[in-house]
Amino acid sequence: MKVLNIVLNGKAVTAKMGQTILELAREHNVFIPTLCDSPALEAAAMCRLCTVQVIEGKWPKFVTACNFPLRRDAEVVTDSPEVRHGRKLIIELLMARCPTSPELQRLAVDYGCDLERFAPLNDDCVVCGLCTRACEAVTGRTLSLAGRGVAIHVDTAFQKASEYCIGCGACVQICPVNKIAMEDVDGERRIILHGKIASRVKLPQCTSCGKHFGPVIDLQQVMERMGEHKIPPPNASVCPECSRRNLAIKLGKRYFEQYGVFEDEEGQANAG
Amino acid sequence: MSGTACQCQEIECAEVEIDYTLLDKIIRDDYGGNREAMIMMMQAIQRVYRFLPEAAVKYLSQVIEVPLTKIYEVATFYASFSLEPKGKYILSVCTGTACHLRGSGGMVEHISKRMGIAPGKTTADMKLTLETVNCVGACAVAPVVVVDEKYYPKADIATLNDFMDRLDAE
Ligand code: SF4
Ligand code: FES
Ligand code: FES
Repeated sequence: MKVLNIVLNGKAVTAKMGQTILELAREHNVFIPTLCDSPALEAAAMCRLCTVQVIEGKWPKFVTACNFPLRRDAEVVTDSPEVRHGRKLIIELLMARCPTSPELQRLAVDYGCDLERFAPLNDDCVVCGLCTRACEAVTGRTLSLAGRGVAIHVDTAFQKASEYCIGCGACVQICPVNKIAMEDVDGERRIILHGKIASRVKLPQCTSCGKHFGPVIDLQQVMERMGEHKIPPPNASVCPECSRRNLAIKLGKRYFEQYGVFEDEEGQANAG
Repeated sequence: MSGTACQCQEIECAEVEIDYTLLDKIIRDDYGGNREAMIMMMQAIQRVYRFLPEAAVKYLSQVIEVPLTKIYEVATFYASFSLEPKGKYILSVCTGTACHLRGSGGMVEHISKRMGIAPGKTTADMKLTLETVNCVGACAVAPVVVVDEKYYPKADIATLNDFMDRLDAE
């Protein structure tokens, strides 16, 4: 494979054909701030925070490092007065949307941002799109980026609680500004977006202890969507806790019953 | 959308009777159920109902196996798709640069005032939807007003009043 000669912040390094600037920078321990990038998902370049300068041929240009594939020998500058100037504006805009994110607050201090410059929107969502991409990746089909331009926002289809959510919580985990919440109440799992219920997923009841656990996922469908047609979906009726305890009891009985450990009627293991 | 519309008075209510055989004809016969033709299918469905009813979009999603969220993204992305019912007539005023310079802003205001609706909205009697578009490609005859795909070049307040008078008389 062709090896590219890249000058990364003044240092000569080599890159693989098609490697993104972000990948290369990380390989060489060069820090580029990112917000909408996840190694598990395809880059979407939504937040623009990773903007760097690249010179391929004659003219320098600003590109997003997370999705810019290197195809030619080039010079990359990840931190310079120009780059910082551009990034500062981006952080100011993001801060206007979402002033509560500690991540952004830290960056704002670092870049000396003027937080009075843009009227705060207090939307709390930076529209990075990570949640929608994660949702799609787990075949959840619940969150989407609706609208466009300044009106773009995360929403469920027709603004209604989704029927296709599998209750995995990937969106909750991945949101860089912790805008999405998940709660298990009244035997159902709820994903809460913009303070509104985005989906409800029924939780099964453990046949052993009666507690609600894990969501009831239409696994058959999920597996089909993943192209795993033949594997029969597992169907748990006992919660993980009980299943662990039951297994421990079973094993304990098999090996230690002869020593009289299991004397009580309940069959409860009394040895720690 | 007229006779069979439901009785409820809520403006949000978007219930229409969906003719699934017609949808099947559009999706399967006209476009071979090919998901690449999704946007054209959506346009065809919108031509039938004058907007995209939720039930029809759901059906489309099932047949062509495209997640509902994706179709919703597309439907909200393009201004030409509407998820809300539209009036019997759709009046679009061009507010592109040329038309704007020739006073289309005032025309929008005029209609808004007279019909009591903001741009993008529909009158309560479902007769008229007022829309603004950005350049319909006829700048030479600005300002342009389009009523149901018919173009009115060099439109003015009189043209609009004429139209609205006819509408009121209906
Ligand atoms: S809700 Fe969170 S993850 Fe989703 S787009 Fe907004 S900031 Fe990103
Ligand atoms: S990380 Fe590159 S644009 Fe967000
Ligand atoms: S600006 Fe109205 S037609 Fe071009």
